[in-house]
Amino acid sequence: MSKTNKKAFILGALGLAAAAAVVTLSPMQRATAQGGDNDPAQVWDAFGGNQQAQKFSTATQITPDNVANLKKAWDMHTGDVSSGAHSTTWGATPLFVNDTVYTGTPKYNIFALEPDTGKLKWKYSANGSNGDENQGLKNRGVAYWAASAPAAGQPCQKMVYIGNMQGELHGVDADTGKPCAGFGKNGVLDVNAWATKNSKWKIGLIQPPAVYKDTLILGWAGNDWVYKTENPGTVYGIDARTGALKWTFNIIPEDMMDQTGTANVWAGISVDPETGLAFLPTSSPSPNYYGGDRLKEMPYATATVAVKAETGEVVWSHQLTHHDIWDVDINSAPTLVDIKKDGQTIPALIQATKQGFLFVFNRNTGEPVYPIEERPYPASDVPGEVAAKTQPYLPVPEPVIADHMPPVSKLADFVSFGECSRWKARIRDEGRYTPPSIRGSISWPATLGGVEWGGGALDPTTNTYVVNSNVVPQIYTLVPRADADKKYGTALRARDGYAAQQGSAYGFKLENFLNMWGMPCWAPPYGNLSSYDMNTGKLNWKKPFGAVQKWGFYMPDSWGSITIGAPAVTKSGLIFIGASMDSRVRAIDMKSGNVLWKQIVDSPAVAQPAIYTYKGKQYVAFAVGGNGILTPRLSDQVVAFSLPN
Amino acid sequence: MIVLASLIAMVICLYDYYTPETGLIGTGGVVLVAVAGLLMFLASLTLKLVPNRSCFLQGFLVVSILLDIIGSSVAGYFLESPVIMAAEALALVGWLMNVIGDAADRSVEIDDVED
Repeated sequence: MSKTNKKAFILGALGLAAAAAVVTLSPMQRATAQGGDNDPAQVWDAFGGNQQAQKFSTATQITPDNVANLKKAWDMHTGDVSSGAHSTTWGATPLFVNDTVYTGTPKYNIFALEPDTGKLKWKYSANGSNGDENQGLKNRGVAYWAASAPAAGQPCQKMVYIGNMQGELHGVDADTGKPCAGFGKNGVLDVNAWATKNSKWKIGLIQPPAVYKDTLILGWAGNDWVYKTENPGTVYGIDARTGALKWTFNIIPEDMMDQTGTANVWAGISVDPETGLAFLPTSSPSPNYYGGDRLKEMPYATATVAVKAETGEVVWSHQLTHHDIWDVDINSAPTLVDIKKDGQTIPALIQATKQGFLFVFNRNTGEPVYPIEERPYPASDVPGEVAAKTQPYLPVPEPVIADHMPPVSKLADFVSFGECSRWKARIRDEGRYTPPSIRGSISWPATLGGVEWGGGALDPTTNTYVVNSNVVPQIYTLVPRADADKKYGTALRARDGYAAQQGSAYGFKLENFLNMWGMPCWAPPYGNLSSYDMNTGKLNWKKPFGAVQKWGFYMPDSWGSITIGAPAVTKSGLIFIGASMDSRVRAIDMKSGNVLWKQIVDSPAVAQPAIYTYKGKQYVAFAVGGNGILTPRLSDQVVAFSLPN
Repeated sequence: MIVLASLIAMVICLYDYYTPETGLIGTGGVVLVAVAGLLMFLASLTLKLVPNRSCFLQGFLVVSILLDIIGSSVAGYFLESPVIMAAEALALVGWLMNVIGDAADRSVEIDDVED
């Protein structure tokens, strides 16, 4: 009997005792290298490993045969962590380029570290948050740019950028950490000054910009649950050297900007360095869960949009959810891949989504590589709302999640005296795209995905694509305005999951489908890791991934874990990934999906690792920050692993 | 031996509770095992230091310690803490020795009476 099965057996055998234990315990805690001196294939110079968002390393020193010997090479603590009302959320990927490891922090500092020791080279502070802004203390790292024709002896020919919650983009010299005087005003570009339409908040520059030649492509994070109209989602093309605005791309049509907002690009952006196309994953318009005031088509919302990186001109786009009323933003940078199919090589991209689809498009033309069907879905029963009659559906590659939510968990239902099944019977559940309703609807998949913002990783030598995914239904309830005003007054949010959607006919309430003890009401697994052959669209394997840890107790591996973050892969056939709730990072055999190595870190590593080689040694580095959505355990650790000498 | 095992379990739990590398920092599970260890420590001390205890108290302590060992072992398993499980194995040996020794003592007492 495997260890997993033993755990499941013990859980089952203990039956009532286990349930009683739960009851007893519950009340206690209800590579496009643009410079640098390294082999371009061995650097990790962008959030997605390279600008193509492949998260792939050609390094072969660490292999499936020796990975069990991996040891901590170094770790350091940035000091940038806090809990409570102003808790930090850190999903940065460390960059390795210019013989330096760079990372940004959720308190908006840049740390430049020695790659083999983690010792501080320099630190730059962009300040930029008191924790009260729309996104608070949240960061996904930094971007790096190097001049293609550097001016000898001049500073700022290589720059590192970090955004903050004041809508500022800071640019500093990559060697010294000193602000670049020629960028914005003394190294600070006020991007927020460009975002004045329907402004309710300062825009949040969480995600580092993408880089193409001398252009930065920058999106931002908004807050699309609390007002009907918000800043319309605009993407900016910026001169990397000076900060001058080169172009803007508006996702919301001009004539709709007084009815809605956001649909912004808050996730990573990928770039094809050969064609100069940038690929934008766009989010849903505001307010997220009621679309009665924005019934007109907005084709660039919840879509993948290809634009020319130097002009912002749209080349093609595909809307992947029509009239989005589920907050299923397209939330990860598309991964670029050259697919070998029917004797041809197709320049393509893979767009993973919260819905669990892996859309594959010819990246030059937008033509689907695997056919997309328009399938009918349920109508809304909410006065004023008109749900789209059809939605895109992709049978191949097989979606990472099923079309209907898992059955109710017998254990969770039993220990809650039937609460789960009674609750499910009361609410609307018709599978994918069940519209939000006044009595409550199961949203499947919910806003947590499917696939989260990390997206997947690709080995371009085999076109094997690996992606982690969540299995999480949530309950969406629309609250008529009069009822909302009576219960919540002018509050924009409340602790019970309420968001005002002010200006629209309905407030909104998001509930987790948990029983009275906090146990998920649906059957596990809660998260998976899947591997696909993208040349054929065939699923190689799919396994529960990670582990749930509650009060310190690890649940069976077969239950998997909700994950945030993403994998990175190596040419030697390894997957490295944190992401899991149990504060462990793992190495997994790409062929079999078996865990070959795991190590405890200070909190869940809700990011994607960086893999680099320095002075002949391969390192795997994680920013270990945690995320309050998963567990309250947060950290400020950067840790790197390598093989012993 | 039960006293020793319960002390080991408590020390391990304290270490786990305050050490990030264990993955158990600040968790309720180790607090639970620590409390169970403390109860086992008190129960085993009572066994040792109160010789003229009633049959009821004797039975209560012996059964309680066994349940404590089983519960803590299961907790140790789900905490993925081999050291806690080893400590509980040690406690189980101590418990068996205590029960067997106690039975032997009673047998001698009965033999004495019959003689």
